[in-house]
Amino acid sequence: MRQPGLFATGGALIAAIAPVSTPYPAVRSGAVLHFPADHGAHPLFRTEWWYVTGWLQTDDGKKLGFQVTFFRTRPPIDERNPSRFAARQVLFAHAALSDPATGRLVHGERAARVGFGLADAKSGEAAVAIRDWQLQRLPNGQWQTRVSASDFALALRFTPAQPPLLQGSGGYSRKGPQPQQASYYYSVPHLRVTGRVEQNGKPASVSGEAWLDHEWSSNYLAPDAQGWDWTGLNFDDGSALMAFRIRSKHGGTLWAGGTLRKADGTTTTLGPADVAFRTVATWRSTATGAVYPVTQDLRIRVGGRIEQWRLVPMFAAQEMDTRRSGLPVYWEGAVGTKGGRGYLELTGYDQPLAL
Amino acid sequence: MAQTVPRLLVRALGKSVPGPRRLFQHLDLAVASGELVAIVGESGVGKSTLLNILAGLDAAEAGSVTIAGTDLGPLNEAARTKLRREQIGFVFQAFHILPYLTLRQNVALPLALVSPDARAAERRANAMLDAVGLGGRGDGYARDLSGGELQRVAIARALVHRPALILADEPTGNLDPETAARVLTLFAEAVRHHDAACVMVTHSAQSAMIADRVLQLNADGLVELRGG
Amino acid sequence: MQMVWWNCVAAKSGLMSGRLALRWLIGGEWRFHPARFAMTAIAIAVGVALGFAVHLVNGSALASFNGAMRGISGGAALSVRATSPLGFDEQTYPEIARAEGVADASPVVSLNARARDVRLTLLGVDITRAAAVTPALIGMNLRGPGAGNETAFDETALFLSHQAMARTHARVGTQLAVIANGRTVLLRVAGTLPAAGDTAELAVMDIAAAQWRFGRLGRIDRLDIALSDPAAADPAAAEAKLRARLPPNAVLSSEAAQTAQSDAVSRAYRVNLDMLALVALLTGGFLVYSAQSLSVVRRQRAFALLRTLGMDRHSVIAAVVAEGLAIGLIGASVGLASGYALAWAALRWLGGDLGAGYFGGGANGVVFQPGAAAVFLALGLLAAVLGSAVPAWTAARAAPAAALKNAGDVRDPRQRVAWWPAAVLMAAGAGAALMPPVARLPLFGYIGMALLLAGGVAGVPWFARALIAPLAHRWRGAVPDMLAIRHLYGAPGEAATALCGIVASTALMIAMATMVSSFRGAVDDWLGSVLDGDVYLRTNAGASFDPALRARLSAIPGVASMTFSRQLPLTIAPDRPPLALIARPVQDRTNPPLALIARVAQTPTNTVPVWVSEPAQRLYGWNPGDTIALPIAGQTRFSVAGVWRDYGRQAGAVLIDDRDYERLTGDSGRDQIAVTLAREAQLAPVVRSVLAALPPALRSQTEMTEPATLRRFALALFDRSFAVTYVLEAVAILVGLAGVAATLSAQTIARAQEFGMLRHLGVTRQQVSRMLAAQGVIVGLTGALAGIALGLILAQVLIHVINPQSFNWTMSTRIPFGTLAGVAAALTGAAALTAIIAGRHATAQSAILSVREDW
Repeated sequence: MRQPGLFATGGALIAAIAPVSTPYPAVRSGAVLHFPADHGAHPLFRTEWWYVTGWLQTDDGKKLGFQVTFFRTRPPIDERNPSRFAARQVLFAHAALSDPATGRLVHGERAARVGFGLADAKSGEAAVAIRDWQLQRLPNGQWQTRVSASDFALALRFTPAQPPLLQGSGGYSRKGPQPQQASYYYSVPHLRVTGRVEQNGKPASVSGEAWLDHEWSSNYLAPDAQGWDWTGLNFDDGSALMAFRIRSKHGGTLWAGGTLRKADGTTTTLGPADVAFRTVATWRSTATGAVYPVTQDLRIRVGGRIEQWRLVPMFAAQEMDTRRSGLPVYWEGAVGTKGGRGYLELTGYDQPLAL
Repeated sequence: MAQTVPRLLVRALGKSVPGPRRLFQHLDLAVASGELVAIVGESGVGKSTLLNILAGLDAAEAGSVTIAGTDLGPLNEAARTKLRREQIGFVFQAFHILPYLTLRQNVALPLALVSPDARAAERRANAMLDAVGLGGRGDGYARDLSGGELQRVAIARALVHRPALILADEPTGNLDPETAARVLTLFAEAVRHHDAACVMVTHSAQSAMIADRVLQLNADGLVELRGG
Repeated sequence: MQMVWWNCVAAKSGLMSGRLALRWLIGGEWRFHPARFAMTAIAIAVGVALGFAVHLVNGSALASFNGAMRGISGGAALSVRATSPLGFDEQTYPEIARAEGVADASPVVSLNARARDVRLTLLGVDITRAAAVTPALIGMNLRGPGAGNETAFDETALFLSHQAMARTHARVGTQLAVIANGRTVLLRVAGTLPAAGDTAELAVMDIAAAQWRFGRLGRIDRLDIALSDPAAADPAAAEAKLRARLPPNAVLSSEAAQTAQSDAVSRAYRVNLDMLALVALLTGGFLVYSAQSLSVVRRQRAFALLRTLGMDRHSVIAAVVAEGLAIGLIGASVGLASGYALAWAALRWLGGDLGAGYFGGGANGVVFQPGAAAVFLALGLLAAVLGSAVPAWTAARAAPAAALKNAGDVRDPRQRVAWWPAAVLMAAGAGAALMPPVARLPLFGYIGMALLLAGGVAGVPWFARALIAPLAHRWRGAVPDMLAIRHLYGAPGEAATALCGIVASTALMIAMATMVSSFRGAVDDWLGSVLDGDVYLRTNAGASFDPALRARLSAIPGVASMTFSRQLPLTIAPDRPPLALIARPVQDRTNPPLALIARVAQTPTNTVPVWVSEPAQRLYGWNPGDTIALPIAGQTRFSVAGVWRDYGRQAGAVLIDDRDYERLTGDSGRDQIAVTLAREAQLAPVVRSVLAALPPALRSQTEMTEPATLRRFALALFDRSFAVTYVLEAVAILVGLAGVAATLSAQTIARAQEFGMLRHLGVTRQQVSRMLAAQGVIVGLTGALAGIALGLILAQVLIHVINPQSFNWTMSTRIPFGTLAGVAAALTGAAALTAIIAGRHATAQSAILSVREDW
């Protein structure tokens, strides 16, 4: 679910009122995902994203958090338009680097229509690129990404240590009260990271652990959703936890869910009643005025037992203000917890994510 | 002199100025041809006004002025101007020689006003310049001359058209005593030579010396100081 | 500031103590003649006001014009622009986008469009690219989450700038029929373009939709470029590298080049107008000179007295110049304020182009220009100070003793009037006029005109004396006339003092009138030779007549022949306005249907012959026989087969045979038809048949005009563009006449003693009046003749230097005899009338008082 944030980012730009004529496929339960083909793009669906987050450590022991996201959208255009500029597919990308040494998060964006060899998202294999930004899966099963913004650049390689984790019911992930409010969604936790990070022109070798999400859908959010809290955590013991809640505009939780996979591979799917977030501490952004619950207690019910983790941010100021490029304001930050670390995403805190 | 008809005859002239003060009253004066009368008096007593009335440039409230037998009274502006042109010559304290005319043209100006004959006018003007001792300088201009010389040009101009009456207002007022004496002598000679009647207003004793008669002007009229 | 300056001067001359005396003196003069000082200050104020107002109006119009241009360019610092509306291949986009040094590139389709009869610039943009390169082109609804996301790639969404919204009376949600490239498309107004500025008439839509719906598939017109950080550090090198990658039909254009281009369109016109406005100020300066000269003469004795009492001559100069400074300061300040008000009123009621049509939309408000205000303030002060300096010097030069002794000035008529200052000035002026232009402006031409003008004015005393010398040497005729002539002959400087302003303004007026009459005559002849059809049809908003339609139209009964042509703007250099490329049939290549002024017998083989207009020849140095490159068709070489006269397109025009054009560009559309009727055919039924043969959509976009209408329209446009110059000239003349009146009356009144003496001698009042009238006539006639003579000389500079260098067209001289006679009569009459009125005033005074020494 991660994406709602960005989604609303990229996704927002993308379209909401499809003409009746645009035949978006629906997400249905029971479909079976095939790899590696489903690592690639699903251009008929309205939205799709690949999302990598993780913790890095430089050779001299400095900790960093990073995020690289590629979105694909299929706007509801007239398919007959023969123009090479016709926006049949539009790609967006986001990258951010959180540095506790500076207490700042730096980020960059890219966006482009598919075409002219400048932007593309291949089907059948994971290869998505906007000009010099790219994310792809290599034939040997490794993933790699390369992005560069004005303040930083990332060149990272991800080696999977575990098989993909299908979210929800075999990859069908319900997002709202209606069954069609859903996505196809899988994650690859515990990616081993190697590569280089460049900050202000100074390169450094890094290593670390990351989390990949790949999700696609045609109908995502419930109309009365205000925003959501999402987290993906890699635990030191090899287990992985994804949890989210969609907050209602009227207060409270509209929907929630998650998946816990133990190191031995046992997987528990969590329903709306199994996930609870509780605010421990908030941080107010001076830039936007939004107040984010950056420290939260996450409680899940697994096998009749309640387990609780306190999610503590790497540092508080991990807000992304991407309004300049027409995208929303949200908080996307590295968080740590007992025996593990991951990312927390908080959206809809400055204003409702509109649909 | 007494038996000839006076060139200038003034009878019972009266003139006042705004306010209670009268300038003069019951003023009588007769000047014969060739006679030079000096009128003296304190400042403000009306000497210049008298002169202007004689010239037909100012009007009196009472009395009459007759010049060469013509009574100014019934004359209109045009006729008075014509009379002035033909019968009166003027000499001013400030000379009034036009700088943009040659001296000859300045002298000939009164003639040019009555006759279109330029050649005759210039001949006559040359003769007049000779007479005032400036012969041969007719092509010069005012800026070449001293004050005394300018006044001599003015005298030539005053007499060039053989007027019956010369009116002079402080003719030596702007001259040093020595020059003034020479100019006055010349003036008197010229007046007599041309047989003109002359009234000169002055408060300089030196000027009055050359007059045939000296009259003092006061509120009651003219009092003869010295007879001729 | 005046006091500071004053203190300096006084301190320098060591005469602080003299200050009080001078202040009394000046104060007294001002108290006794306030009207004279007021009038002088007003003359300066008028000059400054006119100049400043014209400058402000033009500046404001240009600012809003540039604002609109920036709005349309979306703030891109660097763009690849198509050289013509045909655009360039869209495959240039990926190539440039991937080029070294390019951080991002945003492709743009740009069309001249109309909606509800409002002209708009319609841009098709890719918002994902515009967001990175030209965010100002992103519509309001796309900004921030939540608001109207559905419009991002909506192919029917249209975003309008504030101005476009207001002019079309559209609102968000309005369905707007937009016409461009001959097609009409219904679009929905989805939002605004808040960053496009207030003046741009701009509409933005999706690039793919624009290409598809308006028939522009495969082409783009603009590529906005954001340089990467390292490239931006050395933009010149980056631009050079990019330039090498451009197709021939595109140019690289920086924001500076864009500004230069929009500036170039109207620059010559604006500079011309500024110069004309300055004439009023110049005239005002002469008026100060006249007034100060008189006032100095009047105070000669007073100054002499002060000198005798121990004041040195510098203080006298300082006093007079300080007066001038005060006059200038007051006049210029008032002038600046009224200039601003005038500009405001002009913008409000006349529009920013002052009638000349250089600026499309007009300005929104006056843009105050502090620099210009300072310059005009300085010019006003300069005019007043210079106008005072000469009389001041004269006053200081006078020997105190002589001045004390003599009443008034005693002149010597035999003194020669120096002719050489005038001759030297005029020779220098002629020399300057022959210099080449500077920065495409005839700066030396203007300097030459100023020198000629100064020389002419300096020569007026000599001219006046030469003119009346034959009369003065004879002593005959009526005394008043004779006196008048002798007076002028003896004192030509006095007449010149009165005349300097009017001679200057008349000369300029005559020069302008002669230039305009020559220009108008040339345009009229040219129109006659160009408009050889019986009726003309042209499309607007890019619609065109396709070949099949053309064949049908030509076959309509009553049509003897139809000439189809295509005209489109072609950018040769990014910093110059595009020239017009005209494609029309040229049957006989040795004798094309043009007013040729130069031709070559044979053009080189392997080249395509083109005929360039005279401005194009002068602007780009394209001479007959030259082989040139035109950015329309790859590496094709063109040769200049001839040069033709054209007064219609200041930026130049190139004619090409339409067969060559079609072969090179593949563009088969034509947008203009010249119809020649068969001998017996009636115009109306043929026009009806032609219109009926047009498809309905095209019919609504076709305008029909007859040559007479076109000609009338062209001449009306011509006259309108010169209307403001006439106004400026008229004001200058009025200021000059005021100067003549003031000076003549002052001079006349100063001669009251003389008139008194003459009255004593028996000169009648009427004769004095006649003398003064004669003098007025002579002075006026002298001024008129001098002004006309000088004006005709200046006209040659205008016609052969200023015009070709500013506007790149030439013409032959046509003298407007009627205007000359009128000006001469008006001036003579006005001078005579002034002299008589002043004389009446002077002689009304008692002749008795006048002759008295100290009245």
